[in-house]
Amino acid sequence: MYKRIIPIFLIKGKRLVKGTQFENLVDVGDPLSQAMIYDAQGADEIIVVDIDASREGRMINTGIINEMINRCRLPISAGGGIKSVKDALKCFEAGADKIVVNTSALLNPFLIKEMADEFGSQSVVVSVDVRKNSAGDYDIYAFSGKKKMGQDLKDHISMAIGQGAGEIIVTSIDREGTLSGFDRELYRRLEDITKVPIIASGGAGCYDDLVKIFTETNCDACAVGKMLFLRDYDIVKFKSYLKGKKIPVRDA
Amino acid sequence: MKIGIVNYSLGNVGSVYSAFGFYGYDVFLVNRPEELEKYDVIVLAGVGNFNTAVLKLKHLHFWEQLNYEVNVKKKPVLGICLGMQLFADISYEGGENKGFGWIGGKVVKIEDHSTKVPHMGWDEIKPFDDKLFKGMQNNSFYYMHSYHFVPEDKGVTKAVTRYGDLEIVAAIRKDNIVGVQFHPEKSQGDGLRLLRNFLEF
Repeated sequence: MYKRIIPIFLIKGKRLVKGTQFENLVDVGDPLSQAMIYDAQGADEIIVVDIDASREGRMINTGIINEMINRCRLPISAGGGIKSVKDALKCFEAGADKIVVNTSALLNPFLIKEMADEFGSQSVVVSVDVRKNSAGDYDIYAFSGKKKMGQDLKDHISMAIGQGAGEIIVTSIDREGTLSGFDRELYRRLEDITKVPIIASGGAGCYDDLVKIFTETNCDACAVGKMLFLRDYDIVKFKSYLKGKKIPVRDA
Repeated sequence: MKIGIVNYSLGNVGSVYSAFGFYGYDVFLVNRPEELEKYDVIVLAGVGNFNTAVLKLKHLHFWEQLNYEVNVKKKPVLGICLGMQLFADISYEGGENKGFGWIGGKVVKIEDHSTKVPHMGWDEIKPFDDKLFKGMQNNSFYYMHSYHFVPEDKGVTKAVTRYGDLEIVAAIRKDNIVGVQFHPEKSQGDGLRLLRNFLEF
């Protein structure tokens, strides 16, 4: 099984944006053009999330997903404000391969099971955003990092998997957009409970960050953002470097 | 050649449609079973639960029509992921449910303690010298499934993928019936090539 490199697209309005620790967003282009570029470079998947949707009480614009599906030949996961099976169905009808739930999975614990029963576990991704607290533990945040929640991280993820989540993406808000490397400690803590694929997110900044997340944790995939959008890297370079380090990646 | 994709409101037939459209083939979404007779090639895709898929196909009366087109008229059919699993005699997903029975075998859960389930992501396949896989660059395809097809007759298996200690059947072919467990419509260059190979039989 190959390790996956997944560009993560944060959508604001109709634009692709990128910030630091979920703040100070800058425009980094048109989502469709960028998706086509990374598809051509051999990205393994793309995750697209509308970062304002939950707070604004709406869901991601499925038009953007549909455009990408028509132009790209790789799996696309869509998230942002998906609160019900009906919302999820709209994403699948637009062509999404998986849906991503974050805030709504925290507010409504039954949602994951409803979705997994309807669409199958392989189509339901649960996303969790965390910040490290002064005691060295991780707190979960909802609404794109705006609201601290009470759930324990391991309990929440175990619950999600138990209810049928087929994949888990955990984002370190502290590292997000900082280019300072993944929080590997975070993923190591989750190793004993992740019986489904896990995606590391937040902090990818150089080749060795990608090497370490795959050699020092059991993560199956990692998300890349700023490094790709605002630095001189591309998917082809990532893969040839990782291959040189004997990490199983698919040829671009 | 006209390609008809069975549109039975289960999942994303849109990406299958756009993948066939990439090479300019005449491809259509088929909403009514009686329309199937107009098409030369039938594609059965779908994500989700086996049980739900069977119920929907029966409810929309696609079931009998597909049996007729594939069994009696011998039209080429391509099953993708759940679409291929529907070819089996029986599946244990969502209870015990009967499939089309076009290719003898059963669909069982991936139970292998050395790996994670679902089987999610890109994996290399080992093709058994079949024209379905000619001209591939990497032989890598995208998978997303928790159940897999175990055919009775090993001769129908045209490619396998190793997943942990398990050998998963990646592709099957018997006469006019072709099925793949992975998603060619999501597998970049090799995926498009596979769709083309299937049509060029």
